[in-house]
Amino acid sequence: MRALLKPALLFIAIGVAIYAGLYFAAERLMLRTGHTNPFFKIATAREGAFDWVILGASHAMPLDFADFNARMERDTGLRILNLAGPGTGPLYNRFVLEHLLGRRRVRNVLYVADAFAFDSRTWNEERFADAKLLRRTPFEPAIAARLWDYALREGVDVRAVLDYASGFSKINNRERLQRDVWEGEAQFERVYRPSAAAVKKRVAYLYPEPVSEAARARYLEQLAAIAALARQAGARMVVVKMPVPAQFREQLPGEAAFDAALSRMLSAQQACYADFSAALDEPRLYFDTDHLNRAGLTEFVNHRLKAMLVSRDCAPPPAPRGGA
Amino acid sequence: MLFTSLEFYVFLVLALILFAVLPAGKRWAWLLAASFLFYGFTQPSNLLYLGAVTLVVLACARALERTAHRSARRTLLAAGLTAVLGSLVALKYYDFLAGQLSLPVLGLKAPVGYSFYAFSAASYLIDAYARRLPAHSPAGHVALYLAWFPKILAGPIDRATNFLPQLAGGLRADPARLVSGLQLIGWGLFKKVVIADNLAPIVDRSFAIAAFASPIDLLISVYFFAFQIYCDFSGYTDIAIGISLLLGVQLLENFRRPYLSRSTAEFWGERWHISLGRWFRDYLFIPLGGSRAGPIRLYLNLMLVFLVSGLWHAGLGYGVGWTFLVWGALNGAYQWAGVAARPVWRRVGEWAPRLRESTALLVLRVLLTFHLIAISWIFFRAKSLGDAWLILKKIALNLVEIPSLLPRFPFTADHYTAFALIAFLIGIEIVDERRSIFQRLAAAPVALRWGIYYLAIIALLLLGRWQAREFIYMQF
Repeated sequence: MRALLKPALLFIAIGVAIYAGLYFAAERLMLRTGHTNPFFKIATAREGAFDWVILGASHAMPLDFADFNARMERDTGLRILNLAGPGTGPLYNRFVLEHLLGRRRVRNVLYVADAFAFDSRTWNEERFADAKLLRRTPFEPAIAARLWDYALREGVDVRAVLDYASGFSKINNRERLQRDVWEGEAQFERVYRPSAAAVKKRVAYLYPEPVSEAARARYLEQLAAIAALARQAGARMVVVKMPVPAQFREQLPGEAAFDAALSRMLSAQQACYADFSAALDEPRLYFDTDHLNRAGLTEFVNHRLKAMLVSRDCAPPPAPRGGA
Repeated sequence: MLFTSLEFYVFLVLALILFAVLPAGKRWAWLLAASFLFYGFTQPSNLLYLGAVTLVVLACARALERTAHRSARRTLLAAGLTAVLGSLVALKYYDFLAGQLSLPVLGLKAPVGYSFYAFSAASYLIDAYARRLPAHSPAGHVALYLAWFPKILAGPIDRATNFLPQLAGGLRADPARLVSGLQLIGWGLFKKVVIADNLAPIVDRSFAIAAFASPIDLLISVYFFAFQIYCDFSGYTDIAIGISLLLGVQLLENFRRPYLSRSTAEFWGERWHISLGRWFRDYLFIPLGGSRAGPIRLYLNLMLVFLVSGLWHAGLGYGVGWTFLVWGALNGAYQWAGVAARPVWRRVGEWAPRLRESTALLVLRVLLTFHLIAISWIFFRAKSLGDAWLILKKIALNLVEIPSLLPRFPFTADHYTAFALIAFLIGIEIVDERRSIFQRLAAAPVALRWGIYYLAIIALLLLGRWQAREFIYMQF
């Protein structure tokens, strides 16, 4: 057996060197193909402070589709960084914000709230272990340390830390040559044809477990922690709910209870809150069951969001006459 | 715990460390504890089923040892087999039959791996009855034989006559076994996560929408499924045999390049799921009279064996349904055709011995056997008999046009990867058929050998699908 030890150690050493080479190549390739991942955006953003940072799940993502973020920056004269991610709940959003605030000055935080993201571990603790997110997150010791901290304190799977630190998902990325674009971005110009079956399927996907008060309370606490982080960093926090079609909104379970709990928590935190969920009902303004397309987003931003971004006022702008 | 999961490898390393530090005579006790931990890890209630089967086997075997009276021994064997195999039948089929016959559904479900260790238990009882077992095996050894963690989920269905003598002298791992074990684990992982799991999404997509899929899509999926199920199952058993070697146990061989078979009899008898084939041969086919009870009995016995095999396979990842019975019957019919063709084949040998041994005919026979088996896999994989029939019909009716449609088929990078992996596998199997790849590697210079190992590891890292897709046969 001892005769095996030396060649075995040499074999392992060469293997580790090969692995390190693959890791390095995968990291470089990821930096070339990166686009949507919030940590990639932080790592590659221009120097300087941000007037607005946008956090939330996929409903906030169209604000950064195609040229939209650049257009909003041009129209408002503000610097905006959109760090929303698909299916990311408040725990993951907090993780992103902590990292950002450690390296950049932020004046305002716009949090796009979705009830589903406050209802399940799927969109919070379990989201950290998603290979699709991990493989596009640039390696930084600070992120690894924070992830480890989240594993210890917040119940994030330790495998997510191991995966991130070892770069396994990056090396094993089957889409390594493709640009990191969320599939919704390709449909941004599309017009949605209403379908009750599609809405039902989508709602079932967003709510994998029955709505639980305990889960909501836990993730509302995470939102409160985000508000506290923003306050400590001297940033103002504004929470909004994005418009969704009536057909979709009516199928959401426990939405009224969530709205009430959210309002209570936000008034305690003295954060601004505006509910735009019923602002645009027409299906032609969406590219799928619940995401605004270019036309819808243009209408929403021009008539609602822009005023909020440029104002220091908490009150949501009034609805434009005869329209949204 | 899946063989492709991180927690399994943490578990394995801990198992190996304790195995190495314990004295050889005590290692079995640790491995029994480790096997219980492995089997109960995700579903502790699994241990109740395993415990019950173990107790039945031990009680019956001990009673058989003490009893000389023939009818009492028969009664004991019948009682043991009824308990073990009856529970398997009830757990697998009661709800399905209840649904068909409008009886109350009880929500029964066999725990993972039950089909495999129930058959190991049955073989133990029959061997105990036939006095083929080593005398006075300790109860812990018998429990370990049933619970042995590398094989408990999906075999091989090892025999106590092979397993128990290895425990008697204490378990030891030698360098040659370690190297062989690691080679098998690596090759098994490659077959599972690189080949099988890269084919699976293409297959799943077409079989899920058989009514809407194009004939080319279906044809490709039928071919891909043949390789997916082979790489999935043989990958699992290679890993199981490899891990066992690391722990000083040599399990029975389970696959021997099955798609190079020259007949379906060779496929089922000598190359595919060998441990199950031998189980059926020794415990069902031969006791029924085998091939010596006259031609009619031979045909009946063959069909019965394959129908029972079909029933055993039901529930394997693709639900319990009549498709498995048809799959068994079709393979039984292949055996009938093979038996009926024997005299013709013998005459061909007499008239033209060179033709019979020619490479061209050999290749034709291999291709024919592969296609017959691939057709039977359609019934194995399809959601229903209707779907299976539809797939067959769509392919058959369009077979002539398929070559002209191929250039316009929207092949993706996934298709090309899958074709390349299958071509690689076939190449390896052909080379391996002449002389074992592992023997060739052992004779190769170190630089070449290590280069091949590193290439395999890089392929596992770059091409492997590691997102914990279950092994197909584990779902039996």
